[in-house]
Amino acid sequence: MVHPLQIHGQHFDLHPSGVLFWRERQLLFVSDLHLGKVTHFRKYGAAVPLQAIPGNFSLLDECIGHFNPKGLYFLGDLFHSHMNSEWQLFEDWVRGTGLTMVLVSGNHDVISPLKYESLGIAVVGEVVMDGFLFTHHPQERDGYFAVSGHIHPAYRLRGTGRQSLRLPCFFKSARQLILPAFGAFTGMHALTRKKGDEVYAIADQQVIKI
Amino acid sequence: MTNAQLFEIAISWFRAQQWEPFPFQKRSWEAFLEGRHGLLNAPTGSGKTYALWLPIVLDFMKKNPAYATRHQPGLKAIWITPLRALSLEIRQSAERVTRDLGTQLTVGIRTGDTSPAERAKQKKQMPDLLITTPESLQLLLATKGYPALFRNCSAIIVDEWHELLGTKRGVQMELGLSRLRALSQDLRIWGISATIGNLEQALEVLLGPYTVAMQNSVLIRAKLNKQISVKSIIPPEIETYPWRGHLGLRLLEEVIPIINNSRTTLLFTNTRSQCEIWFQKILEQHPEFAGEIAMHHGSINKETRVWVEQAIRNESLRAVVCTSSLDLGVDFAPVETVIQIGGPKGVARFFQRAGRSGHRPGKESVIYFLPTHAIELVEASALKKAVATQAVEDRMPYLNSYDVLVQYLTTLAVSDGFYPGELYEEVRQTFCFQALSREQWQWILNFLVLGSQSLQSYDEYKKVEVEADGRFKVNHRGIALRHRLQIGTIVSDAHLLVRYQKGGYIGTIEEWFISKLKTGDVFTFAGRNLEFIRIKEMQVHVRNSRKKTSKVPSWMGGRLTLSAQMSQLLREELYSAGMAIGAQSEEIKALKPLFDKQRIESIVPRPHEFLIETFKTTEGYHHLFYPFEGRFVHEAMGSLLGYRISLLAPVTFSLAFNDYGFELLSDKAVDIQQVLDNDLFSPDYMLEDLQKSLNATEMARRKFRDIAVISGMVFTGYPKKGVRMKHLQSNSQLLFDVFKDYEPDNLLYQQAYTETFEHQLEEGRLRRALERIARQEVCWKTCQRPTPFSFPIITDRLREKLSSEKLADRIRRMAEKLMKR
Repeated sequence: MVHPLQIHGQHFDLHPSGVLFWRERQLLFVSDLHLGKVTHFRKYGAAVPLQAIPGNFSLLDECIGHFNPKGLYFLGDLFHSHMNSEWQLFEDWVRGTGLTMVLVSGNHDVISPLKYESLGIAVVGEVVMDGFLFTHHPQERDGYFAVSGHIHPAYRLRGTGRQSLRLPCFFKSARQLILPAFGAFTGMHALTRKKGDEVYAIADQQVIKI
Repeated sequence: MTNAQLFEIAISWFRAQQWEPFPFQKRSWEAFLEGRHGLLNAPTGSGKTYALWLPIVLDFMKKNPAYATRHQPGLKAIWITPLRALSLEIRQSAERVTRDLGTQLTVGIRTGDTSPAERAKQKKQMPDLLITTPESLQLLLATKGYPALFRNCSAIIVDEWHELLGTKRGVQMELGLSRLRALSQDLRIWGISATIGNLEQALEVLLGPYTVAMQNSVLIRAKLNKQISVKSIIPPEIETYPWRGHLGLRLLEEVIPIINNSRTTLLFTNTRSQCEIWFQKILEQHPEFAGEIAMHHGSINKETRVWVEQAIRNESLRAVVCTSSLDLGVDFAPVETVIQIGGPKGVARFFQRAGRSGHRPGKESVIYFLPTHAIELVEASALKKAVATQAVEDRMPYLNSYDVLVQYLTTLAVSDGFYPGELYEEVRQTFCFQALSREQWQWILNFLVLGSQSLQSYDEYKKVEVEADGRFKVNHRGIALRHRLQIGTIVSDAHLLVRYQKGGYIGTIEEWFISKLKTGDVFTFAGRNLEFIRIKEMQVHVRNSRKKTSKVPSWMGGRLTLSAQMSQLLREELYSAGMAIGAQSEEIKALKPLFDKQRIESIVPRPHEFLIETFKTTEGYHHLFYPFEGRFVHEAMGSLLGYRISLLAPVTFSLAFNDYGFELLSDKAVDIQQVLDNDLFSPDYMLEDLQKSLNATEMARRKFRDIAVISGMVFTGYPKKGVRMKHLQSNSQLLFDVFKDYEPDNLLYQQAYTETFEHQLEEGRLRRALERIARQEVCWKTCQRPTPFSFPIITDRLREKLSSEKLADRIRRMAEKLMKR
């Protein structure tokens, strides 16, 4: 189910839900949840399925159950909009989980850091550990391997005839890895692969290296 | 005044114009004055507008004897036109009548083109006679206090009803009519339709199948017996005329003398790209026509189109290359000849196009058929038969279009609100929702109020509210505003404006075509070579280019299918190839060399035979099937058969199809005997198998886009109107996936599948085709090389892939292929 990946001697697992697990540190990384987006749309009269909201949390629980991590890092765009009722669900979920959590804040994170801190979630601009740099926006920095989110990477596969598939993916280049968006109802952005890039596409509950 | 006196007025008015009323006109006046509802079947240019404008005015005179001196303002009659371009002409006819008969009735137009100032004026004081579109009528229903507007409206005429029937605009119209019927005590509802196969049903859809109005209605057929003469352009050297192709340019020189010998000629093409190419090629090879020929299609800007239409009337053009954009309305007297390039894919459309020529009562219409490849001559021959027997196809009305109902109910909630108990009965009177159950109705109401079927404490959904007295109402201004902007979104691909960088608007183009272009690419559009610069704010910036190009936008709407009736005629014509020469049409006779070649290794099927051909080329193993049922049925049948074969053993096919048959191409041979032994053409379990065949989901996904927009789940935004809703824009694809994962029982999501099966795959026709095949004798021919019949199909490059291999395996294989490059 998961796809192992070794970077600079460290071991990672790519999970089909889009999360990244760092074995040595026992940490789980997840990007672009966009909580609150469904509610935001519904508030304005667009009937996006309500079930997508608890779906996000149960999928996260599943991942936590699978890896049993020591900590959870959100790589930005945790909450899509201003405060709405999904925040309460998020609060309940955080309290029930009891994990150490850190938010590397992203462009959508407009909710006050104080709100997160009151839940025990540290809000930071970036995280540096063992030569790895964790940010929301993709960036390359000398001396680091960067891990980020933000662009909701996808990859388009084309076959003969009119075959074409667009799949969410982990996108790895020489010096960085971009995580797919975790949240339901978040969309994708297709990337083109250059020489040396590696694409790990998600399909049928599997991570497949292309 | 008695009806007889009124009649006298009408007849003398006609005579004053030096006209003599047709029987159908008199019958319409009579029926209308008797208070009946009805449907008038009359072609364009036959005087149908006077068949109904006159009695409306006469009826007014009857009820208001002091009509000449006293004028009580307020809306009295509505004329609905599906094309706002036609409204000016309709107004002219109406004004002529109101003026000449000495009434003080005013005539007004209200469409998307009407200025806000004019609208505001109308809201204060409605014209007596209002000409409007289905969308603008819905917008009136979205204004506060609308019932007062319609209270004294005594007639509503739906013009070109056949154009609305079988579309969601038609459903919108049905719902609007059901509301107006309840508002006005004395409303007469009339439709005007060109000839279609199901005219009786068209009347039922207009009035509602079980209404009082339906019981008191008439169907009037004009029966003008217009002479239509169909002539085929038979290629001089049929032996060398291409077996495939869709442009027909080889016969360009045959067209020139036709143009030269006629006052004005219209050349109808099937797609806008074909239109562009023909226009360019004629000019290239006959520069002497410069300035004398023009082009007309839906993507060209309005000013140019209006100019072309005017030029046709002035007789300042020799020929116009056009698409269905010139199918409707407007009287073009100077048009003497029509040329149809390639199969028109429908008898009704062919009739309508033929009717564009000799556009005067009593004159003969002349239409030439130009085949784009040899086998299309069979179609030409079939069309002649169809014209002779008036075998015109049906327009299938929609059933249970929940998306339109959601939009309509929101519209009513935006204006004065509604009480569901009363409205349910009204809605159920329409044809579309005659079978709507209480449960489905409740589902829709829940959807409007809760945005789901269960109430969750954390949910903040907001749209329609239920007030204390049970009234459903939208109270939020933002929601009301967004809804009004969204009403009547004529759903189609996202369109972008094409303009020169320095200014100057050229037309609109589908987004998906532009998305394939890179900066610097040159493409042909509106008869010009344009270089693509960039997309900015929903506009495509271009500049003129001298470079030659092969890129012509091929519009999605271009791919049409044969109707059931036409398919049958086509089969009959083909079968005549096996009959005595004397019993054959000139087209079939001309095709003898081709049939002879076909018979070398295969056969030309007879009525009881179903032909299958197999052969091998460097591309792989070809398996061809010839049901002659039209491309939609073939697409579905190909998917179905491909899926069923793949159950026997994993295999990947590529599917190609045209109006005559379909092909399954694979890298290994399929044992046809096994296909027959396993009864794979069986209609049993058809629907289940179709659903499982691969592309049903993809097709439903495409249908869902329209549904999501109409039902208001996706906001399209209105960049031109300066309304920014970017934070609410999502795409329907994304939404479709969320529904698939989290709410698959949603009626709107399921509607996408229903529409796919009923309207796209034509489930009913597919079943009948399979039943027919079951009665036929299968003739399986193994050939050494491609046959003439197979040629147009196997060379089609637009293919669908069918596979029974797992998604992951497919990805691996595609990836492997990628590596090999």
